[in-house]
Amino acid sequence: MSGRRDREARREERLREDEQAGTAERRQRLIKLGSAAGFLALAVLAVVLVVSQSQKGGDASNIVDTQAVNQLLDGIPQNGMTLGKPSAKVTLLEFGDLQCPVCKGYSEEVLPGVIEGQVQNGEAKIDFRNFTIIGPESTPAGAAAIAAGEQGRGWNFVELFYRNQGAEDSGYVTDAFLTAIAKGAGVPNVASWNADRKSKRVLSEVAATTAEAEQLGFSGTPSFAIKGPGTSGTETIGTPGSVGDLESAISGAE
Amino acid sequence: MKAPAEGTLRGIATFLASFGVGVATYIAIADSGGGSPVCIAGGHGCQTVAESSYSHLLGVNVAIFGIIGYVVLLACALLRGDGARMVGFVVALVGFGYSVYLTYLELFTIDAICQWCVASAVLMTLLFVTNATRMLAYAGAKR
Repeated sequence: MSGRRDREARREERLREDEQAGTAERRQRLIKLGSAAGFLALAVLAVVLVVSQSQKGGDASNIVDTQAVNQLLDGIPQNGMTLGKPSAKVTLLEFGDLQCPVCKGYSEEVLPGVIEGQVQNGEAKIDFRNFTIIGPESTPAGAAAIAAGEQGRGWNFVELFYRNQGAEDSGYVTDAFLTAIAKGAGVPNVASWNADRKSKRVLSEVAATTAEAEQLGFSGTPSFAIKGPGTSGTETIGTPGSVGDLESAISGAE
Repeated sequence: MKAPAEGTLRGIATFLASFGVGVATYIAIADSGGGSPVCIAGGHGCQTVAESSYSHLLGVNVAIFGIIGYVVLLACALLRGDGARMVGFVVALVGFGYSVYLTYLELFTIDAICQWCVASAVLMTLLFVTNATRMLAYAGAKR
């Protein structure tokens, strides 16, 4: 009797152990499957984000970041295409092309640090000058910025354009797109801006600053030059790689 | 350390996901009228974030994806079994990853903080912890 009970007890224990082993194995399998599915879903999300971001911009009906641009430039004086207090000792000359994606990146990642620092506190001012090297659409874009500058909104136009930039020479720089940017930038008289941006005077200014950039030896955008008490005239500084580099160049020119 | 009972985890997840549905719905409704969520503590952070190019994904307001995600997480919290555990874990992981990305953008790219987005990020983080614990502790367990 006792032998049979022992055999049954051992059998039950073996079944229990088998069941536990099966459950543990199933558990491991599910955790591995769940983790793989989770990381696959994250990878898909990353691809969707990259594709989504690369397709953005150039949409006249969906101008974004006006509030962010207003916030960045709020309270800083603008005169033509110059941003900053007229009394600032150092002038930073930025030669850029509104169609240039590197300029867009620089405008979003590097320049805000300097604008919120040395420009805001009156040490430096930045003068944006067109250097149209990307293609035919760069000229009307640059002219539109100058015309906005004549109404005191040049930097709002430039910054907002960069934040809504489309693919190079893809045909997005239309009258509708430029007008949407001008309105978003807060250009007070859009009719006057519209006439100015097509004028010979403004278009020749775009050509003149492009020639100036070439004379300075620049071949890409954005390129910078600087002048101040500590420089001998206008000195080229190329493209400083970081906010710190740009700040050091400004400090060195004081 | 012993994990809480699965029923407790499901209860917590139900509470968090319900809250998440509310937050995401508010953001979606505020944005659909051409406006933006109102930051309770003041400031323009919510407006700046809602108006940024990152507030939409493939042309759809990210809050809509948020509603879908929270509803799925709510369903997973209410249901039993490995299917619910697994789907809850995967959706919470994706939601948590996307929340980290959006919070990074707010801090370093948009330079503005939206309290509603932060609230959603906190809820999604807690939901990830809850669902991951449920998955790790109870995957394969009987209902």
